[in-house]
Amino acid sequence: MSKLYAITGLFDKPEDIIQAAKAAVKTGYTKYDVNTPYPVHGMDDAMKLPPSKLGYVALVIGLMGAAFALFAMWYINTIDYPQVIGGKPFFPLPALIPITFEVTVLSASVLTVLIMLFVFFKLPNNSHPLHDTEYMKRVSSDMYGIYIMADDPEFDEFKVRGFLEDIDAKEISAIYYDDEELNTRHRVFEPKFIIFLIAAGILNSALVYFVYNKLLYMPPFDFMEEQAKVIPQDEDTYFADNFSMRLPVRGTVARGDMPYLYSNNPEGAGADIVNPLLPTKANLAKGEQKYNTFCSPCHGYLGNGESRMRGQFPVPPSLNSQKVISWSDGRIYHVIMAGQNTMPSYSKQTTEDERWTIVQYIRALQRSQNAGETD
Amino acid sequence: MSVDHTQEVSVVEGQPSFRSIDDLISKPLETKPDRNFFIAISITGTMLLIGVICVALTVWFGIGTWGNNQPVGWGFGIVNFVFWVGIGHAGTLISAILFLFRQKWRTGIARFAEGMTIFAVMTAGLFPLLHVGRPWLPIYLIPHPNQHGVWTNFISPLVWDVFAVSTYFTVSLVFWYIGLIPDLATLRDRTVGKIKKMIYSVFSLGWRHSNRHWQHYEMMYLILAGFATPLVLSVHTIVSFDFAVSIMPGWHTTIFPPYFVAGAVFSGFAMVQNVLIFVRRIFNYEHIITLDTLEKMNKIILVTGSMVGYAYIMEFFIAWYSGNPVEQFVFVNRVFGPYSWAYWIMFSCNVIFPQLFWVKKIRRSIPIMFILGVLVNVGMWFERFVIVVTSLTRDYLPSSWDHYAPTLVDLGILLGSFGLFFTLLLLFIRTLPVISISEVKAVIHGAQPHHTGVYHE
Amino acid sequence: MDNVLQYSKKEIPSKINTIGIVLLVLGLLAAVLAFFVDHTRSTYNLLLNFMFIISIGLGSLFLVALEYVGGAVWSTPFRRVSEFLSALLYLVPLIAIPLFFNLHDLFHWSHQEAVESDRLLQQKSPFLNTSFFIIRGLVVFAIWMIFYFFISRNSRNQDDNGKQVFTKRNIKLSAVFMPVFAFTISLAAIDWIMSLEAHWFSTIFGVYYFSGTVLAALASATIIIVLLKENNYLPHGLVSDHYYSLGALLFAFTNFWAYIAFSQYLLIWYANLPEETFWFAQRWEGSWQVISLGIILVHFVIPYAGLLSQPSKMNPRRLIIMSSWILFAHYYDLYWLIMPNFSKEGVIFGWIEIAFVIATIGAIILLFGYKMRKNNLVPIGDPKLKRAMDFRL
Repeated sequence: MSKLYAITGLFDKPEDIIQAAKAAVKTGYTKYDVNTPYPVHGMDDAMKLPPSKLGYVALVIGLMGAAFALFAMWYINTIDYPQVIGGKPFFPLPALIPITFEVTVLSASVLTVLIMLFVFFKLPNNSHPLHDTEYMKRVSSDMYGIYIMADDPEFDEFKVRGFLEDIDAKEISAIYYDDEELNTRHRVFEPKFIIFLIAAGILNSALVYFVYNKLLYMPPFDFMEEQAKVIPQDEDTYFADNFSMRLPVRGTVARGDMPYLYSNNPEGAGADIVNPLLPTKANLAKGEQKYNTFCSPCHGYLGNGESRMRGQFPVPPSLNSQKVISWSDGRIYHVIMAGQNTMPSYSKQTTEDERWTIVQYIRALQRSQNAGETD
Repeated sequence: MSVDHTQEVSVVEGQPSFRSIDDLISKPLETKPDRNFFIAISITGTMLLIGVICVALTVWFGIGTWGNNQPVGWGFGIVNFVFWVGIGHAGTLISAILFLFRQKWRTGIARFAEGMTIFAVMTAGLFPLLHVGRPWLPIYLIPHPNQHGVWTNFISPLVWDVFAVSTYFTVSLVFWYIGLIPDLATLRDRTVGKIKKMIYSVFSLGWRHSNRHWQHYEMMYLILAGFATPLVLSVHTIVSFDFAVSIMPGWHTTIFPPYFVAGAVFSGFAMVQNVLIFVRRIFNYEHIITLDTLEKMNKIILVTGSMVGYAYIMEFFIAWYSGNPVEQFVFVNRVFGPYSWAYWIMFSCNVIFPQLFWVKKIRRSIPIMFILGVLVNVGMWFERFVIVVTSLTRDYLPSSWDHYAPTLVDLGILLGSFGLFFTLLLLFIRTLPVISISEVKAVIHGAQPHHTGVYHE
Repeated sequence: MDNVLQYSKKEIPSKINTIGIVLLVLGLLAAVLAFFVDHTRSTYNLLLNFMFIISIGLGSLFLVALEYVGGAVWSTPFRRVSEFLSALLYLVPLIAIPLFFNLHDLFHWSHQEAVESDRLLQQKSPFLNTSFFIIRGLVVFAIWMIFYFFISRNSRNQDDNGKQVFTKRNIKLSAVFMPVFAFTISLAAIDWIMSLEAHWFSTIFGVYYFSGTVLAALASATIIIVLLKENNYLPHGLVSDHYYSLGALLFAFTNFWAYIAFSQYLLIWYANLPEETFWFAQRWEGSWQVISLGIILVHFVIPYAGLLSQPSKMNPRRLIIMSSWILFAHYYDLYWLIMPNFSKEGVIFGWIEIAFVIATIGAIILLFGYKMRKNNLVPIGDPKLKRAMDFRL
């Protein structure tokens, strides 16, 4: 014998179901419910239901959402990764309002709905005794129903049937539990659900493993770790000699470079090349700096060869000798450009202007080392 | 025909029984589709297929397949995005805002309009995804700790868009689904097929139409409507911020937020009206989606179109008033420059033609209102085109000026977006009830207990 | 609902009338004195209260037109309250006269020398010059008065015979009024408020003033409606459901105002163009900082919190408190818009400001009392009235 769940009564006018609800409250039933295909105005008052607290739930969740969004953006923009973007301050409150608003609405709406469904309604529940009954089919479509549950303290089958007849219920019937509905275990522990959780867990782990260990190494998901470009000193099979680094094409001239026409022609250099710079303070200062950098290791600070090298390298002849003094600026320039004997060319370390300033400085040194009474 | 102001205009004509409502609305779900349906879906499917091909080309070869150039970095991609997001707004307005205003005539069209919102937002969302260089990395749009240690730029309106559009989609989906639950339960209780029954049972969550649940349900509906209303206003506002926070002449103007929102409602209602004209005819819903409903929608189209016109005039006037020569040039360029044809299409379709809706006969004439609806959507597409393209082709520095022309891929994707939207709509029509069964029942004459006009307890 | 047809006209208690007279006389005397004490400050105050009265008068006419166009029933029993308030539109040209004679104190662009030395002002001078300003002001006032005259006359005539043709006419008039309203209110806001700082501009300014206007009209109507109903001036049968929409609209437009105000601020702040930001920078000088921050609290946070819950929208006491607060907030808003052009270093608030406010309140009370004596408080001939009394949420 199946267990009795409730006795139901059906009505076909909205006014009747309102009266039925009022009567049920008056008679003292507490474990009862009303089913209608759509919400009927005034039913909440007729059943004396307390007002819904969902509004407060939404308010609290919304405020929490707003606070969370603002805190997160504050933390990210001020502590974790501060960046100056468009000259705006690190915590630009007006610019953060749109996102805060959206997060508030999103969290309040979605979470309140979930709370309503899972907590207030305790749905999903497809094993309720009312499902698949004639009663349910009618109230889903075009009739209004009320039922008194068997575990109401005032329940007595005969009395309830009488009560329903008194209020002119059109159809009165009994609803029994189906066997599988007599489920007292909490739905969360049902085997189907546990298996579902395990399957979801396995699937999720597999996906995560695949993405982080495999996918991230496949182009284009590998974030251009492997690129077709050539890195210096790499092997490169494109060229026959397998070198990735190539010489420039013959005849390539470096920027700012001018060919030097007097490479083996010191006399010509001395005769033709003229110092384009004036001996100004700035030029001499520059010349001093460059001379001290490049020339002083061998020639010494005063041009006389007493250098920091202390003879570990052949001592060059003094720059302050009469011979050098008699040289033209172009002749000195040539030595710097082309080198002489053991001195290498310094054309790569200096620009043209710098070389001329060095020449001017040498002139100054010569004068200082051979100072006459009038200097 | 004359209106009698002492009588309330009934939302549903006649007084159909609840059973007949169930039967009528469930009919497309319980019968096999006819030839017309297959013709329709093959057309939309073909459009969709062309779009898919063009999208594949874009993803494989890159944005070079589009017409974007310097200075027109935003072309069809953004125009289409704003267009589709705008269309989505009508649904939420009908569902949420008309609900808050207690306008009962929304019941016949709310479900359908919400569905259109969701499909429009889905279509719109494709464009920001596609218009970036590497559309397979959208996860980085959501701020989360990652291996690069970088976060999204919360100050950028493009990121606000991400939050806004995804919130809008989620909340619209939730709102739509909550509305569907009682109807899915009704379908569960009347269906005979076992598989269908299982599907309906799962998705209706076991809803029992209990009044203890209806009480919370109604409160939830009110809360969702209360949230959805500012949400829908905020979404298109944030889309307008994409343009208005910049310093581009023609873009940086404070009226953009309400102007965009009004324009969105305008185009959305035109699209809903267009589609409903077909739906009500094909499925015999004419006494539920009544001519009065269509007329009211046309009034809203007139109002929002006038708001858009107001914004055009205000922009023009203030551009002159501001004395800023660059701003003034933008507007002169719009009217007389190389894209003036687009401007005049926009102006006539958005401001001039909708004024015809002042005439009641036109408001109630199905063929004319249909044409006007199409024109409105054409005009609104061109409005976004004018805003985006004409401002970009000629901004501050004449040496940077250039011309913009869409490529075939651009056009293919536009066509495909319509294909996607209408295909989803057609599928929706045959799988879910397009009118809310429970809401319609609630507004039929005699469905609510009779009030006597004295204090309501 | 039969009580409606038994409605008889009641007059405003003479106590209220006396208060109105006292306020108006005291206020006017003080205001006239103020003109001699500080001419410019008084002119600014006159402008401020002028815009406040336009808000209530024009906004109330907008509400009346909105009811006709939207076909709403819940507001029909007390539509006359807004109709009476719209009569303020007749006062508008009167107050404009002293303003027209004192444009020099208010507007930089009315000074010949200023225009000659300023290229921007020269550019705007086809629009911003004294004669065109006065002409278009008068035209706009005339338009408002004409619409008020015809709409209120149709409504009044309907009391005698209940013919629906009056409703139809008013629906047509209201529909035409809407776009006219949109342009004229924007023009008024631009002319009287935005051009105080002639170098600044904002395309949303008309909408901004509109949002505050609707709030002011709703709030003043709500205060009066609730007071009238609780003191049995309105027909028996109105319930809290009728209040609900008033509360909901107040809440909605509070949000709308905040949305418009925030949009304007955010866009100008974000682009950071000096030609626009200086206007807000002016409102950050000295004690104006406090006022600028305060407007968020006063005009948004407090009304929002006060009207958020369902019960609060229907509760008479709450409605009166929040409506009064919102009226104060609208004055605060106009103050924040207008006065920084007068006192750049900080807030100035004293007996002069209070004098003008008192005069304004007195004028409104007296006008309302006068209309109540001459007209029915309820549109007894309106075909929607029966449905309106039966209205339930």
